Amino acid sequence: MSVTTTTRGVGRLLSPELKTRALLFRWLIALLLPLLVFTFVWQGDYVINNVLLGFITPATALTAPSKAIQSAIFMVLFYFLVLALAGYLVASDSGRRKTVSIWLDSFVFAVVPILLIDVTNNLVIGIAVSGIAWAIFFTVRKRIKYLAEAPSSPTSLPTISNDELLQRAILGGFWLGLTLSVIWLLVDVLFFVTGTLQTELLIFTAIRTVVLPIAGYFLGMLGGRVAQRYTAAAYASRDAKNNAKAGHKSRLESQQVVPNDQPLRSSGARTFYMALLIAFLLFYPAIDQYLFGYGTDGRVTGYGDAGYYVILALGLNIVVGFAGLLDLGYVAFFAIGAYTWGIIGSTQLGIIFGTVFNPLVLSWLFWPMIIVSALVAAFWGVVLGAPTLRLRGDYLAIVTLGFGEIVPIVVLNLNQVTNGANGLVGIHSPAFFGLDWSVVTPTPYYYLVLALIALVIFANIRLRDSRLGRAWVAIREDEIAAASSGINLRNTKLLAFGAGAFFAGIAGAYHSAKLGEISPDSFSYGDSIVFLAMVVIGGLGSIPGVIVGAISVYSINILILGQLDSLATDPTSFIYPVYHTITQYVPGFTFGNIRNLIFGVILITIMIFRPEGLIPSARRKRELHRDDDAPAGAGALDIVPSDPGFEAEVRIE
Amino acid sequence: MSAEQVVSIGQNGEQTITPLLELRNVTKHFGGLAAVQEVDLRIFPGEIISIIGPNGAGKTTVFNLITGIYRVSQGDILLGGRTLVGLSPDAIVRRGITRTFQNIRLFNNMTVLENVLVGYHTRLKATVLGALFRPPQVRREEDVARERAIELLSFFGPELVERQDEYVVNLSYAEKRRVEISRALAADPKLLLLDEPTAGMNEYETLEAVKYIRRLRDELGLTILLIEHKLAVTMGMSDRIAVLDYGRKIAEGLPEDVRRNELVIAAYLGKPSATDQEETAAE
Amino acid sequence: MSEFLQFVIVGLVSGSIYGLIALGYTMVYGIIELINFAHGDIFMIGTLVTILLFNLLHVNDTNPPTGLALVGILLLAFIVTMIVCAVLGVVIELVAYRPLRNAPRLAPLISAIGVSLVLEDVGKLWKGLSPIAFPQIFPRAQINLGAVQVNEIDIFIIIVAVVLMVGLQWLVQRTRLGRAMRAVAQDREAASLMGVNVNRIISVTFFIGAALAGAAAVIYGLEFGTTVFYVGFNIGLIAFTAAVLGGIGNIVGAMLGSLVIGMVQSFAVLIPDSLNPSSHGIGLPHGGGSWSLAIIFAILILILVFRPSGLLGQNTPDKV
Repeated sequence: MSVTTTTRGVGRLLSPELKTRALLFRWLIALLLPLLVFTFVWQGDYVINNVLLGFITPATALTAPSKAIQSAIFMVLFYFLVLALAGYLVASDSGRRKTVSIWLDSFVFAVVPILLIDVTNNLVIGIAVSGIAWAIFFTVRKRIKYLAEAPSSPTSLPTISNDELLQRAILGGFWLGLTLSVIWLLVDVLFFVTGTLQTELLIFTAIRTVVLPIAGYFLGMLGGRVAQRYTAAAYASRDAKNNAKAGHKSRLESQQVVPNDQPLRSSGARTFYMALLIAFLLFYPAIDQYLFGYGTDGRVTGYGDAGYYVILALGLNIVVGFAGLLDLGYVAFFAIGAYTWGIIGSTQLGIIFGTVFNPLVLSWLFWPMIIVSALVAAFWGVVLGAPTLRLRGDYLAIVTLGFGEIVPIVVLNLNQVTNGANGLVGIHSPAFFGLDWSVVTPTPYYYLVLALIALVIFANIRLRDSRLGRAWVAIREDEIAAASSGINLRNTKLLAFGAGAFFAGIAGAYHSAKLGEISPDSFSYGDSIVFLAMVVIGGLGSIPGVIVGAISVYSINILILGQLDSLATDPTSFIYPVYHTITQYVPGFTFGNIRNLIFGVILITIMIFRPEGLIPSARRKRELHRDDDAPAGAGALDIVPSDPGFEAEVRIE
Repeated sequence: MSAEQVVSIGQNGEQTITPLLELRNVTKHFGGLAAVQEVDLRIFPGEIISIIGPNGAGKTTVFNLITGIYRVSQGDILLGGRTLVGLSPDAIVRRGITRTFQNIRLFNNMTVLENVLVGYHTRLKATVLGALFRPPQVRREEDVARERAIELLSFFGPELVERQDEYVVNLSYAEKRRVEISRALAADPKLLLLDEPTAGMNEYETLEAVKYIRRLRDELGLTILLIEHKLAVTMGMSDRIAVLDYGRKIAEGLPEDVRRNELVIAAYLGKPSATDQEETAAE
Repeated sequence: MSEFLQFVIVGLVSGSIYGLIALGYTMVYGIIELINFAHGDIFMIGTLVTILLFNLLHVNDTNPPTGLALVGILLLAFIVTMIVCAVLGVVIELVAYRPLRNAPRLAPLISAIGVSLVLEDVGKLWKGLSPIAFPQIFPRAQINLGAVQVNEIDIFIIIVAVVLMVGLQWLVQRTRLGRAMRAVAQDREAASLMGVNVNRIISVTFFIGAALAGAAAVIYGLEFGTTVFYVGFNIGLIAFTAAVLGGIGNIVGAMLGSLVIGMVQSFAVLIPDSLNPSSHGIGLPHGGGSWSLAIIFAILILILVFRPSGLLGQNTPDKV
């Protein structure tokens, strides 16, 4: 490259053209705000400084070196991802949305949660309260015309060349890096001058000041490359390879294509959010110490428990969400999975067979046995699903409810096998190359459940987008049409029950291994309802929906109500006086006691006002708000059978 | 998709063609009511046969009997000489019969393309494991299925192909009908049952429908059995017509003959009343 | 023999209680095709209401009322409880079911589950987690009926149940209101075209069904002397099974089914304990008593699979 080209390049870099300047300005503000809040108000700076200090003077280290390194890696990933995201956003913005609206979005969705988590010093409560704030924001935003967007069709979006995309992206990343580096430098200088910054850290300050803009340049380029994959031209060439006729913009949801009116919601941005989320999840046990102080293990244990809720929600989603079979006894399969490993992995196996098994071997057996537990549960899923095949929705619900009641009774009474009411104790944890799997160090369980969740999500997505998945949805929509299209109702429904139960079995085995002990009263109808609530609240049939539903339900159930109860006994908290006034009138009151009340009210409210759930699958929203956009062409007498008013019960013999 | 014609040579050298579909003495009771009584019908490959009759005559019941939604109380239904009685609807699809419904039964929360892909269910082989692991043959069969589905949609012109990713709720009635037919065609049937395919259509749409139904037989080699109320349509399109009234077949034959048949006229118009007879006598 | 009759009496008493509750299920299902999950919990609330009433009147078992006072108090208990439950039933329908009249079928079902959860927690908040004592003011005397000693209270219960059921049958078959109810149950649109106020009839149905559950609540409390916030769940499911057994939507069927279920539950204790050496391994572990709920569910499942229309229902195949 000649000197002139370089200088011209640098010139373009340092003083961009007018149009791009506007874009740069708005995105810099939009992204700097949360970044600065995270770095200086909350913990970003704190984490980095303490990690470094931990290396410099190991005696003051907050955590073990391995965790410190992991935290360092996470922080680097975090900032780099945000830089790349900046590049992407600047490139992919069509510029038509009002700047204020973008700033508001960034504030509400990025800054507010950080602040709330900081204030409450609790991840779950912070996000829960943010959720409320978001809900309020959504409803208010719809009313304000200034912020309202005219829905844009993809054909009206502007197109820009790949080169210009890249150029914009590089500018975005570079400038964010530059501004962040300058601000940070100033802050550090300020702290140094006032004596709160250690001298040794200045080296890092210097490195960082230089690295950030340079990294921003290259990461912006990365962001640009991501944007390039989502242009209309890119879609068109992909479609051409897929041999589809007439693939053009009109077929794409407007969120996918770049440039975009709502770049924060576009598919490209979502990959960044995903990456950030995954990084956070992976490194969480390491950085929790820095973020929240003491009690890491307790929190990680809690999240390890929440994990199996997610697996259960995903499994139930197959039965209820995909295939439309209202299973109210799902807890039965969870129990079967738990007891299968419980029996094998504890002394109970020896009691039944009268021999003694080597405990070391038992622990390693967990890995194959988790599959076995899942298969046993799947088997029972098929067996218990078989009688329900010809039943209508509500009857099916009752029968499954009955099974959900019968299984714990059976477990309770079959003493020889299950040790009855005493339950099983001493269930082995898994073994994995010397890792300690106890309650004291819950980290391995945490990663195990993350891995399991990833597998289950993967399986769900594959199933949903397959021949079988289509068959399930077809059955849910219209059984007769499905059968008349060649779908074997019996086998497909049984597969749904089996697949759903399979995942419940996985969750069960994990649960009994983690808990170490189980008994029949840990599995009841109330749990089935909680599982159903997860799926319904989150969004029937929607994979991200039920994950959110599971986390919400778990949060409400265990974390929030539990926290509120412990806060209630703490005289210094604001809950204390509230709690005492209530208990004067209602003696039976604890926050834990009103759990079902809250769930009940939530279920009723959601059914009436938002039956498609929090994060609906695209299908569901159409289905349930169909009257909102009247279908063209259908005469008044042409009532389609999936309509609620049409009775379509035929005994398919 | 060629029609099979099984020609058998009889003792004296005469050739008889085995019917593709045969109803023998088919009867269906619902409690005390006989919805269909002793109906005989033979449909030969490559024909377009219409079943007509006043409302409640049992026409859709016959369809439901053929496709296995109801089970015959008496009699037999044979496809290519093999009985269909007792088979489930999906088994009958595999044997080669698919249908559309009087009130269009599409899967409302699926796109046009997905609806047709469901029709392919019997021709795809992917199992649960196949869905999870997506080995190359599963990927290939999904691609092929998608291609064929688009081909089927294009039978009706390019409009549906362009709207393949739209949810079917947004389509007009006539378009929905075409998607339903495409779905039925996806299973590669020998016999296609169309239940009032032009119901709810205006004149123009009806003419279009007649054209493509003919093309279904001419270009794709299908045998077609249809229920139709619009007599002009049936008369113009059918090779033969069967007439049902109160569950019984009262006439069968070429359109011209059926149109002049007194029983048929009486069934549609009712027996002349006393005043009518006086008036006719007075003229 | 007398032992056998004892089992029969027990069965009749349970059957009476289940019957009054089952009627609520069957009527509601007949009219809007909804399984009212919350119905059993209305029963539970009824028991708490009666306790509240008794507390307000300072009625307890240490100094039970007698004679006319007893009659008066019982009457009051029935009236108050039945009315409160009835109003509760109507309110529930208005708030949780009516908005979902046209929604896909899962929606009102889930809403019903929600209502059930709410009511259970209300019970929990009101009276706590443990079983509460119900003043047993009915005299515990016995009558000699030939071969067997029968508690007066059992006779009372059976009489009350029979009177209410007969009254309901009369209402449904012989009055204009009953005719309207049957019309709406058969064909809602046609009934409304004939001038029937469908919404009002549905509310009336809930009113009556819940009132009967309230009566059942009083009886239950008097007989068993205890209640707890989760009692509605089990009893509700058993009563629902009874309704299905008899033919859902069929009033006489609900009564019949309840009788059968009551008997089954009563005689289930006769199944020997297979763990007990004296039974030689026959029977169920821990004896039939602990399995009675499972047995009843098994019956429910068998009916729904093999004869969903129940004993008295009609097998009506439907139009495609």
